[in-house]
Amino acid sequence: MKMKTTLLCLLLLCGTGLQQLMAQNIQVTGKVKQRSTGDALSGATISVEKNAAATITDETGNFSISVPQGSVLLVTYSGMAPVRYPVSRPGPIEIFMEEQVRNQDEVVVIGYGSKKRRDLPTSVSSLSAKEIKAAPVADAAQALQGKVSGVTIVQNSGAPGGTGGTGIKIRGISSLTGTNNPLIVVDGYPLPDQQADNVLNSFGTGDIESIDILKDAAAASIYGVRASNGVVMITTKRGRPGKTSLTVDVYRGLQQAWNLPTMLNAREYAIINSEARIASGLQPIPKLADFNAIEAQYGKGTNWLDEIYRRAAMQNVTLTASGGSDKAQYLFSAGYFKQDGILYKTDFERFTLRFNGDIKVNDRIKIGNSVSASKFIEHGADTYSAFNSMNILALTAPPTVLPRNADGTYAGGSGSVDGFNEPNPIYQLEVPQNRNIKYRVNGNIFTEINILKELKFKALFGADYNVQEINNFSPATPSSGGRPIILTGYSVQKGVYPDYLAEYTLTYDKTFAEKHKVNAVAGYTFQENRYSYVVAGRGGNFTQNIPVLNDVIFRPTDISQIYNGAEDGINSRLMSYFGRVNYDFDSRGYFSFSIRRDGSSNFAPDNKFAIFPSVSAAWRLTQEKFMQNVSWLDELKVRASFGYTGNPNVAANAYIQSINQTFQYTFGNSTGSGGVVPGAAPSRSYNPDIKWEKNEQFDIGFDGSMFKNRLGFAIDFYQRRSKDLILYVAPPFVSGTYESVPFNTGTLQNRGIDVTLNGTVLSKRSFKWNANAVISAYKNEVVSLGLSAPLDNGFTRITGGSLRTIQGSPAGFFFGFVTDGIFQSYEEITKHAVQTAGNDPTTSTAPGDIRFKDLNNDGVINDQDRTNIGNANPTFTFGLTNAVSYKNFDLTIFVQGSQGNKVLNFTRWYTEGGVSNGNYSNAVLARWVSPGTSNSMPRMALNDPNGNNRVSDRFVEDASYLRIKNVRLSYTLPAKWAKYIGMKKTQVYVSAQNLATFTNYTGMDPEVGGAVDIGFYPQARTVLAGITIDF
Amino acid sequence: MKKIFLKNFLILFTCSLLFTQCKKDLLTIAPTVPISSADNYYRNELEAVNAVNATYTPLSAIYNGAAWHLGDIMSDDADLGGGGGGDGLETAELDNFTVTSFNPIIGHIWAQSYFGILRANLVIEKVPLVPEMSDAVRKRSIGEGRFLRALYYYNLVRVFGDVPLYTNIITAEQAATIARSPKQQVYSRIIDDLKIAETLLPNTYATNEKGRATAGAAKGLLAAVYLTLGDKTNAALKAKEVIDNRATYGYDLWAEYGDNFKLENENGKESLFEVQYRSGGGQWSDFGAGQKMNTFFAPRAQDIVQSSGYGWNVPTKDFADTYEKTGAGYNTIIDKRRAPSIWIPGDVFGSYTQPAQLVGSPLGLNVKKYFVPIANTLGDNGGWTCALNVPIMRYSEVLLIYAEAAGPALGKPYADQVRIRAGLAALPAGMSDTQWLAAMYKERRLEFGFEMHRWYDLLRHPDANYFITVMRAAGKNNIQPKHRYMPIPQGERDKNANLTQNDGY
Repeated sequence: MKMKTTLLCLLLLCGTGLQQLMAQNIQVTGKVKQRSTGDALSGATISVEKNAAATITDETGNFSISVPQGSVLLVTYSGMAPVRYPVSRPGPIEIFMEEQVRNQDEVVVIGYGSKKRRDLPTSVSSLSAKEIKAAPVADAAQALQGKVSGVTIVQNSGAPGGTGGTGIKIRGISSLTGTNNPLIVVDGYPLPDQQADNVLNSFGTGDIESIDILKDAAAASIYGVRASNGVVMITTKRGRPGKTSLTVDVYRGLQQAWNLPTMLNAREYAIINSEARIASGLQPIPKLADFNAIEAQYGKGTNWLDEIYRRAAMQNVTLTASGGSDKAQYLFSAGYFKQDGILYKTDFERFTLRFNGDIKVNDRIKIGNSVSASKFIEHGADTYSAFNSMNILALTAPPTVLPRNADGTYAGGSGSVDGFNEPNPIYQLEVPQNRNIKYRVNGNIFTEINILKELKFKALFGADYNVQEINNFSPATPSSGGRPIILTGYSVQKGVYPDYLAEYTLTYDKTFAEKHKVNAVAGYTFQENRYSYVVAGRGGNFTQNIPVLNDVIFRPTDISQIYNGAEDGINSRLMSYFGRVNYDFDSRGYFSFSIRRDGSSNFAPDNKFAIFPSVSAAWRLTQEKFMQNVSWLDELKVRASFGYTGNPNVAANAYIQSINQTFQYTFGNSTGSGGVVPGAAPSRSYNPDIKWEKNEQFDIGFDGSMFKNRLGFAIDFYQRRSKDLILYVAPPFVSGTYESVPFNTGTLQNRGIDVTLNGTVLSKRSFKWNANAVISAYKNEVVSLGLSAPLDNGFTRITGGSLRTIQGSPAGFFFGFVTDGIFQSYEEITKHAVQTAGNDPTTSTAPGDIRFKDLNNDGVINDQDRTNIGNANPTFTFGLTNAVSYKNFDLTIFVQGSQGNKVLNFTRWYTEGGVSNGNYSNAVLARWVSPGTSNSMPRMALNDPNGNNRVSDRFVEDASYLRIKNVRLSYTLPAKWAKYIGMKKTQVYVSAQNLATFTNYTGMDPEVGGAVDIGFYPQARTVLAGITIDF
Repeated sequence: MKKIFLKNFLILFTCSLLFTQCKKDLLTIAPTVPISSADNYYRNELEAVNAVNATYTPLSAIYNGAAWHLGDIMSDDADLGGGGGGDGLETAELDNFTVTSFNPIIGHIWAQSYFGILRANLVIEKVPLVPEMSDAVRKRSIGEGRFLRALYYYNLVRVFGDVPLYTNIITAEQAATIARSPKQQVYSRIIDDLKIAETLLPNTYATNEKGRATAGAAKGLLAAVYLTLGDKTNAALKAKEVIDNRATYGYDLWAEYGDNFKLENENGKESLFEVQYRSGGGQWSDFGAGQKMNTFFAPRAQDIVQSSGYGWNVPTKDFADTYEKTGAGYNTIIDKRRAPSIWIPGDVFGSYTQPAQLVGSPLGLNVKKYFVPIANTLGDNGGWTCALNVPIMRYSEVLLIYAEAAGPALGKPYADQVRIRAGLAALPAGMSDTQWLAAMYKERRLEFGFEMHRWYDLLRHPDANYFITVMRAAGKNNIQPKHRYMPIPQGERDKNANLTQNDGY
């Protein structure tokens, strides 16, 4: 035994050297192959049970190792089921490995460690690289959709690059006022929450090795105050010992909109619009009065949706090189992704680089790093606001308005001629130029030191550095209609968002008396986040229309022509201590306890630290004697866990009472924008006791497999309760203050079930069929709102309804009126409660108008007659993957969907009459015109005297859907051919994304984030072809 | 050996933790913007004046978001207009007298008035204690606090009747239990405040301070309060005091009625007090520094204002018919107040001609009083909110208050000043008191059309049922006696069990 100590940097000393007793050994040689293809496996690890000896296979799959007589070889290879091989002779031997259908041997990444699935007492779902790669998306979160149970993924929009955001909700929502995004941890680095949903589109999806989702509190609580929405652990690929490999993957595809609504043509529009005006007591617009003339002049008219949608290309190239020896391994990757949007003028382009390395300095010390750098450039369009969403503009622009004049200059609607002067969508897409550039460097370096055989110290330092530049340029450009920009505006926002992490952990791992396995972790981490940006803009008559802030181009003469702003240095810090003990008894019983103490700079002085404990236990019934006779059951594990997690959700300085110094008033004879003076007054009360939200979760689960491992299952039942919810309690306005004060009050609950089934339907030598099904269901309920009044999130532009949250119901249901058919006669109107009183059909309720239910029976239809008319929570979501392989062909069909979710279809509010002189949906052709003609589509009246357009169940639709999300067919060239052309392996593939969607929803896409469809960017149908080459 | 190694390690490990800053102070970060609390503010003249400025702020919001809905649309002068359908349901509730305690406009004037009241109370209580400030500014500031508190309570008491009355700095807890005080008490507080304010406030201000409350404004408002209470004697006395000292305050009528509503004449000689605005941004807002009536009143979708125009607050036929005219058509109206007040079909502005009818305006009528076109020459870049101030009281109102309160014999010359400027003949001599009151109501209606006075004039008429009679005649059959007062906002009653509701709601 020898020992030496060394100091390493500021950090630590290290030790090397180890004891190895050499016994009577034999030299075993052999070759490792993949059973299905017969290919040699390079880089497979050969280790020996109860012995330190280990080696790896060379590039031809061969190995040689010296082992004691009678040893058992353990062969492992990523993606393959491990093989135990008792050594009886020196060889050469052949060892065959089979691909792993997600089973109990896979290694799962948990917080600050990893564990075999079989030994997990907690609820964790995983997704492998292969499944992530199959989805042609920029944001890895989209690849999770329908693949993992308990996780609801909603793609908020089909904007290129996933920039519209992807909502990841693990087991429902846990907070009414804070984030509901899970904590995302990339290679051990917890990313700062960015509020918006799209955090992952600056990482290359091809770099990801696995995604593990910590769902129950016991799995997540090691991340403490940030973990109440679960944790997504992303692990990137690393180099393996063995020969250098170089993989190139290229695909190109074409995208197209698949469901554009049908609007009225020019003649129909002229008829309906004139009818609606006459019904309101107005003359028809002179231009539209003669329907034949309109048809003669415009034909079918402008189809605005065809004008703004296009076929668009996308392409992706990923190049990955990896390799190394048993001393050092590396992986280098570079990626390029370009997606044009199906909406004209939108696109997304991304470059990614990654370098992951590991170096074994000696037997005691290992040093490694994970670093990624990316840049993306996005050109977007407004597809998310209720005012100027491109879809809303295109849906409502009349067919009798042209995008351009004959001479090529911009046209558009004119208020006096067309009665419609909303912006011309083509002008709006071509003239204002928006660009969003984001650079991100995320990385860490770490060192692991084996202090003792059982005790390992790890130090990790990391940074996540985001730099963003947003440019908006709207050059003054003439147009004969619409609402042209008459003053040029240009603004630039530059933001720097750095985040730093230091983390130290000690891991103790020892097995006592062969049966008692103990694994313990203790650690400390410190993370600091900073948020700062500067924004500058000018508006006026530029001398040249170029996007620069320069006095020659435009010298502001008035403060209203300048916009400056900054958010300079909002810092927050998190300091945490954590520990966990796992105890495994004889591979039969498992027990785990963890605790974390988080301190945040945002918390009030008296509540600086929060503590989150958890316990979990599991029992493998199939290891017990009494189960040995149950031959059809191969594996059954029962799990139970309970624990606490948190949601920080406390704004900095919320505990201080402050004077608001942002008030303004004007004095002096200000004819323009001068004369503003500041004002100061208190605008809110305060709560010195404010603290984080606490989530308490109980989970019972069953994992197992049966029928000779042909059917695997994982079923979880859970209850989550968020206590101490932060709700903002509005003061009585008599107090003279108006800002609501945060209180820890109220309870939110989700109860649900997650089911994962995976089965081998057929497994022949040349024909294999695996199926995987995932179902998740939960029920959300606001158990208590505590001190808070019901919460109302109104709908922009639509009055008379809201997304409401009250005690005893799911959070955020649609609150509005209930319709009851259509009045066919005045007699029916007289019998019913008063809606809009009067006898004049141009200003009051008349036959053809919608009858609303008088829920409180007071004889008047008013706000008090609103009720719960549905919510956006699905009854359940599901995914079904079928993977079939025949010889060299692989076919994967992935179907995904959601059942029971409702959407408030705002696009219909706009296009079914009563709003403006804009165009109508062709659904209005079936409108009420005389008694008995319709009991669902009301008469057309421009001023809508009856309020047919108020928020009611009329616009709430069932948006259940089933989508053939992905079909992928690949062909692997026979090994001989590949070798002949000098490649190790070549695969060609074609795939279709969003091939078909089955739904009754009438909008463009049933997948709507945020419950209200204001004409979001629809998802495209994509067809692509690609090739993967391993050199 | 192992033990020594472990010991060394533990020492170094501990050191490494020290390097990593595990101190609790790290979790205390000073705010980057200085945060002042109510206890450490009000230290000097600047902070005192800032506190006064904030007391004016709710005025911009009240006049953008509630004053014309109540004063004009609810009256017989105007109807909602707009795009119909869901457009302005909450305003339609006022227009049609189907208002409930959930109405957001009612909630808006309630809330904004109390914001002003708390801030005025802070000024009145804190400014006398400010260690360093000039006596003139201190005196003026307290006067402004008194004047504004009176103005906010005057709004509240006219809209709601009995309201919570407090003159101290109130806590959120106290605000959750305070009860309503009888309106007589509220009025006597208003009168007391204005009597103090008129002694503290200056007569005029330097150019860059114009828009602050003056002694003349306090006296004028006091005259209006007396007239509302039916105290003609005091109303006449106060109004006369202003008229007689008009040189001191610099008051006079503009030669042309329309001069009152021009950007270049803001805070001019006819102005006693007005809400101050500056031009705003690319969206309208009730709460910004800009005035949104430009966007809301302009002819709908006609593109003569930046936002295209919403065409709300549409003048009624009855209002337009009230103008004296020589023939049948509106183009024969001789009253010079018509053109600056309302658009009639055929009115021309540049290349624009007002059409015979518009969405929401079947007669092609619209309010023109706060019209600021897309681009004008005075630096207002014609955003969705504009810079044009809104008058709260003009000198012509002082003349008409005096004329009405003093009666036909004494009042006629003063009323005639207003009529003659409008290009009309003097009133006939020898009118009865009843005739005189009717003549004064008509004169005020046209003189202050769309200046948000009409509804309150209907309410204060000696005939308690006058507002019901007039509104029934205007076709508003839902009107009932309860509509004299608006309902107390339900949201407030939910938070304060002691807050009773007005009868009938």
